[in-house]
Amino acid sequence: MKLLTHNLLSSHVRGVGPRGFPLRIQATEIRVSPVDFNPDFVTRMIPKMEWTALVEAAESLGHLSELPQQLAEGYEKDEEFLRKVEVVEGTLQCPESGRLFPISRGIPNMLLSDEEATS
Amino acid sequence: MQETPGDSLCPKYCMLGRPRAPETISPGFLGRFYSVITPRTSWWSGPAVLLLTPASQSLRMDSEAAAQLERQHVHEVYESTAAYFSDLQGKAWPRVRQFLLEQKPGSLIADIGCGTGKYLRVNSQVFKLGCDYCGPLVDIAHSKGCEVLVCDNLRLPFRDRSFDAIISIGVIHHFSTAQRRTRAVQEMARVLAPGGRIMIYVWAMEKNHRHFDKQDVFIPWNPALCSQFLAEPVPSGQKHVCGQLRVAPESPPQHPTCSVCGYPMCLQKRQESQRSHSLDGSGTPSCCGKLAEVKDEDSGFYNILGRSFRSWFFSRSLDECTLKEQAEKAGHATEEWAPCHPVSLQPSKLHHLDLGDQEPLSEEQDGAIDPGFIQTTEWQSVPGVLRPLPGVSHKGTQNEQQGGCFLRQSTVGQSCRSAYPGGGEKLDTSQDWKRTSLPPPFISLAATMSTGASQLEALGSKAFIRYYHVFREGELCHLLKQYVPELQVLSSINDHGNWCVVAEKKPGLMAH
Repeated sequence: MKLLTHNLLSSHVRGVGPRGFPLRIQATEIRVSPVDFNPDFVTRMIPKMEWTALVEAAESLGHLSELPQQLAEGYEKDEEFLRKVEVVEGTLQCPESGRLFPISRGIPNMLLSDEEATS
Repeated sequence: MQETPGDSLCPKYCMLGRPRAPETISPGFLGRFYSVITPRTSWWSGPAVLLLTPASQSLRMDSEAAAQLERQHVHEVYESTAAYFSDLQGKAWPRVRQFLLEQKPGSLIADIGCGTGKYLRVNSQVFKLGCDYCGPLVDIAHSKGCEVLVCDNLRLPFRDRSFDAIISIGVIHHFSTAQRRTRAVQEMARVLAPGGRIMIYVWAMEKNHRHFDKQDVFIPWNPALCSQFLAEPVPSGQKHVCGQLRVAPESPPQHPTCSVCGYPMCLQKRQESQRSHSLDGSGTPSCCGKLAEVKDEDSGFYNILGRSFRSWFFSRSLDECTLKEQAEKAGHATEEWAPCHPVSLQPSKLHHLDLGDQEPLSEEQDGAIDPGFIQTTEWQSVPGVLRPLPGVSHKGTQNEQQGGCFLRQSTVGQSCRSAYPGGGEKLDTSQDWKRTSLPPPFISLAATMSTGASQLEALGSKAFIRYYHVFREGELCHLLKQYVPELQVLSSINDHGNWCVVAEKKPGLMAH
């Protein structure tokens, strides 16, 4: 799971609503892969991100120093971080309900049981 | 029983295809709710025709029946068969490719029902996220470098308005009720950004001049028959999709050969040589034709697999059963309703006679036979097999008396009848959906389907049976207009037997 993906994910446990974002990452294994720098991509991507959540996520992975706290000049170069870092093993936790979603072999499983899901 | 020379070629098929004396088909395994009626004809070398009629119509199930049906006939099938597709590389469906390539650099794109990720490798300038219900398929996509996750189309784990574009290719036709299909689209609309576009592909009921008789179809296939073909180069073989995800139709292959008779599938000759399939040894090159799966995106492989299909069967939709229940409760005259005939197993023999049955979704058969018509013709020309007259089958007892497969049945007046050429039939079913509140209990079709599957297995054919709800012309557009007002339909076309709809999220409207 890449941080860009994480920035889009929200818990859909019943009753949680918008408080299901962002999910808290507890990573036990991460991987950093090289990504071709694509300024056009990055420039367009940034406005779509929930920046605070991105910073929190990066912090939880110990890479906070690679990202600015606030959007600033030159942030574009840091955006590759969105695509470079991947959580391979770990969990995503709903901040409201505490429900854990597993990440296994890089793939989050966001399935809920019928009882848990919003009807 | 007749010996058929084709036995040695495809024994599993022939086990399915062999006639059975009624006493060898134990009603017991079909469950206590159904009885089995088989015709007796001396010349008949096809499988027994099974008409399942519920003894009790009062079995009620909640909406879990829909989930159950999908679990058995979508998810489990894809999970079980994912391994067959891990080595296949699919070619993207052109229109979908184009849609993806048109997205601006830096766009966020979701492939809801991505399967093994065929579309996740189109356009490196955008960020693509795939999701699928089927873990094994998602694993395959991830192994190819795709960013993917496992989730449910009905409950997308994304925040509102997150994606610039969404594709849903061959997915929502796996949902077994109108409510679920609608919910799937509503969820995708929710996570689409204002001004963003969505492209949806579903199997069409009408395909050129051919169509399924009914909209709810169960399509079996036996992968074991195709093991010999796994190494066969497939021009546009694709990956399989799982769960709610589905495959788009495939580009036409060139004259594939029939796995049964070895003859090239010369579609033009089907009509004239219907009775002379290789099983009889006469070997006219009008063979099995492609099966419904050919239309799939992964049909390159399914072309091969498809030859293992020998029959599919229709069912009453879960929605119809619900409406029937409600009408009964409302005190409507029950003779308007046929007893729920959930399944009719169409005999393989007839499928060879009616090759159109096996390929309504195959796009390379433009201008060829209309399965709807051929079915009727063939039924009528088969001595000893009674068939229901079109439009008459209101009375279940009539079907029983006929003792044959029913091909079509009227349910809610005209509105649920199969569309016939012209395709101009209005989507009256939508009216019914509007009248009723969301489905309460209905007859357990899932149970039916499980017994249907058991039945096939009992006949010796290990068949995976997939469920599809094929869409009528205008049905998907109507669904959007009626239930997803935040989407503006931009286009709707029939692309090789699929309805392809593109819609845009209106700016400023909140999602449902």
